[in-house]
Amino acid sequence: MTKQTFLHDKHVALGARMVDFAGWDMPVQYTSIIEEHKTVREAVGLFDVSHMGEIIVYGDDALPFLNKLVPQDIKKLTDLKAVYCQLTNKKGGIIDDLIIYKLEDNKYLIIANASRIDEDLNWMVRNKCGFDVSIVNESHNYSLLAVQGPKACDLIRSLGVEDLPPFFTIKRGELFNINVWISRTGYTGEDGVEILVRNEFSEYLWDKLLEAGKPFGIKPIGLGARDTLRLEAALHLYGNDLDENTTPVEAGLAWSVSKTKTEDYNGKKVINEQLEHGVSKKLIGLKMLDKNIARHGYEVYYNNNKAGIITSGGISPIRGDNIALAYIKNLDNLSVGSTIQVMIRDKLHDAEVVKRPFVPKNNKVNI
Amino acid sequence: MNESMLCTKTHEYVLEQGDKYEIGITDYAIEQLGDIVFVELPEVGSEFTKNEAFATVESVKAASEVYMPISGKVVEVNEAIVNSPELLNDETAEDKWFIKIESSADQVEFADLMDYSDYKEEVEG
Repeated sequence: MTKQTFLHDKHVALGARMVDFAGWDMPVQYTSIIEEHKTVREAVGLFDVSHMGEIIVYGDDALPFLNKLVPQDIKKLTDLKAVYCQLTNKKGGIIDDLIIYKLEDNKYLIIANASRIDEDLNWMVRNKCGFDVSIVNESHNYSLLAVQGPKACDLIRSLGVEDLPPFFTIKRGELFNINVWISRTGYTGEDGVEILVRNEFSEYLWDKLLEAGKPFGIKPIGLGARDTLRLEAALHLYGNDLDENTTPVEAGLAWSVSKTKTEDYNGKKVINEQLEHGVSKKLIGLKMLDKNIARHGYEVYYNNNKAGIITSGGISPIRGDNIALAYIKNLDNLSVGSTIQVMIRDKLHDAEVVKRPFVPKNNKVNI
Repeated sequence: MNESMLCTKTHEYVLEQGDKYEIGITDYAIEQLGDIVFVELPEVGSEFTKNEAFATVESVKAASEVYMPISGKVVEVNEAIVNSPELLNDETAEDKWFIKIESSADQVEFADLMDYSDYKEEVEG
């Protein structure tokens, strides 16, 4: 049985094309993925991402418990700060990628991928032994609305929220007299916020945001554009670019791993070894040198030898070319500027290794 | 769309034009695909049998094969949609055909094709 968010009727009324995503009937597009993508890069877009999971971890041992689960140092979080994390298994493989917020001492909020909530909860429960901690799945109580784009913060400020939280910070707030949590995060590479609201108010908030956002050029944005936006920003998608056999180091996420954390965590041995001695596969960015589109699962070749696989690929509406993320064997002579090939319908097509992100990010402004 | 064209269950159409046949995908298929960003067409002179994949059309989300409604030899391809795939999404644009073929297909090959009106009824339910 496909699940529906509390905004499902709104999407249908707006004429969205609905598709199954991780067991949820979600809007893939309202008008056009390319138009919606440009709306978010140029003005502001409203996304329903209520399928995502919210997990509260609280108790006297909440901090040491979370520090056992992720390579990041949760000790360093101050109240209302957030950190991008990976839930790692004993081999350092990624069970899920998460955002963990410290709400207060001994109380943390985790935002998890819709497709991984059950695995996350199972893993947390399996690791709970010896910790005085409670794990509560709040996913069914909350809706999550993302407001993203260069005009997103202007819109939220116009609604009376004077002090927007800085990047990767959350705060309690009120929008249209509704209590919400406002987080300065997103999955588009643009500035903006994600708003956590109890389900019973989500339809009201959705309508009000679309109405108040009109002068800012707001439009509802489907998951299709969410995917092209995150790809341009080279943000990983769990299930495509991340899985249980890939470590944060291999995934190009070493920057997010704490190098100073003294506590042991699941996978620490493997991750430390990779940090020290390097990895046998790594994530790279590619741009196609012809009109062909590399897609998830296509093989990558270097000097006529199979060298890896495309994990995400598609068009870049902003660049006007086709881009991809791929895992390749660690080849010494391969670097940015190198030409490699992608097998597309039984033919090899040239691609160039390029820097990630593919489009400059525009979200690390703490104004 | 032309009422006299015949359609497949996989959303291609074929339209008789004198001694040639024009082949393309239906307006319903285009609508379902959304933004079309890539079209690959065969070379003039290549031959395909009925139900064989002869072209690729890609939306933002995915790549799809396009199949021959009837057998035939390609005599013309529509380079305009290769160079500007977005033409297919342009409601005001004409000439959204993919290829023109010469065919000696017999009645058996036409037997499972639907009249446009029947096709429309089927896809719109």
